[in-house]
Amino acid sequence: MAFPKPQATLRSATGIPTGRLAVWWLLASEVVIFGGVLGSYLMHRLGHPEWAEAASHTNTWIGAFNTFVLLTSSFTAVLAHQAAEKGDGKKAAGFLVLTIGGALTFLMVKSYEWTVEILEGFTITANGFWSFYYTAAGLHALHVIAGAIIMGIVAADAYRGRELQRVELIGIYWHFVDVVWIFLFPLLYIAK
Amino acid sequence: MAEHHDQHGAHGAGHDEHAGHHPNYKKIYFTLLGLLVVSVVGPVFGIVWVTLISAFGIALVKANLVIQNFMHLKWEKRIAKWFLTASLVLMALFVGGVSVDVLNHEGNNWENIAAQAAVERGLAAAAGEEVVEEEAAEPVDVGFNAPNMFNLVCASCHGAAGDGKGAAGLALDPRPANFTDPAFWAERDRARIVNVITNGGASVGRSPLMVGWSASFSAEQIEQLADYVETFRPGA
Repeated sequence: MAFPKPQATLRSATGIPTGRLAVWWLLASEVVIFGGVLGSYLMHRLGHPEWAEAASHTNTWIGAFNTFVLLTSSFTAVLAHQAAEKGDGKKAAGFLVLTIGGALTFLMVKSYEWTVEILEGFTITANGFWSFYYTAAGLHALHVIAGAIIMGIVAADAYRGRELQRVELIGIYWHFVDVVWIFLFPLLYIAK
Repeated sequence: MAEHHDQHGAHGAGHDEHAGHHPNYKKIYFTLLGLLVVSVVGPVFGIVWVTLISAFGIALVKANLVIQNFMHLKWEKRIAKWFLTASLVLMALFVGGVSVDVLNHEGNNWENIAAQAAVERGLAAAAGEEVVEEEAAEPVDVGFNAPNMFNLVCASCHGAAGDGKGAAGLALDPRPANFTDPAFWAERDRARIVNVITNGGASVGRSPLMVGWSASFSAEQIEQLADYVETFRPGA
């Protein structure tokens, strides 16, 4: 027996399908969360010249590689959206799987990077810089993990030609995760 | 089948003007990669304004490309833009509101002693990095200097001259101890000075506003501070 669809899936009172409206709403709250963390980091960084020494230990090449990985995964996510709009669920699912691959690559690189840093003694309690470093990047990594899990569910449905509108929704979320990293990269890796 | 039709209905051109806009994603992707290369190469030159533009200016350009084209905000209804703008405004209010306090470590009537101490400790550690690594067992001792620490931590209330007339102490009741007053020394010995610095004024029935510093300083450092306090003693 099929369950009736929730009204939110079908209507678009604002001119935006309600599911997508909800994603924008979610992202508006994310802007405040990440904006608060990054804004605080920026202010403290400017007020603490001694953080430059701590920041000089982050690995720019690893940060740049992960930026490349996330930009590429955003590219595959938007190709998934394009395929879904053409009604090609299988192709959309394929692109989403590639995007999940990007998420997993990002997380593996991050695990390696953090392991090296923690073994060198740069732990979350080492000083203010490292506290922000692990908090901001950790919060971002949690979003990567959540996105990858949801993308798996959406891809499984899309493969069967179901709920194709969700491909765009998880895509918008994923691009936001990419945008956050675009700002984290110069803040944590480039500004030495 | 009807259900299937409905799902696509939300995306059909008739219901959602947003659908169907697909710019050249490949071109945007390669532009993003090009910008990434610039943002990594730019700071290599070590010129401040080049770094600022190549790192942060390009981050803004990259983010805008992703938001407009990948997230399709360019073609989205205005209400979504309002959501995001409202969030950005709230964030700007937060940053603008607290930045004056966070960026500065002192103002007309206040001083952020902990932040000043953190800057001092950090810069000292950075300057003597090799020393820190060789003597990793006691990193806290690096750069400790009793007169400097007194000026940083104690002088706001007790005054740099030890006369109890520090800016932050003027409003306190009871007044901070005046180390230059012979009457002060008539009642106190060395052990008591060390005890009050360690455990705070309340431990000897005096003002709790004089807090204990055992969490911040080692016993040896407190002895050094007590030595310094004794230099204010008349005739010392």
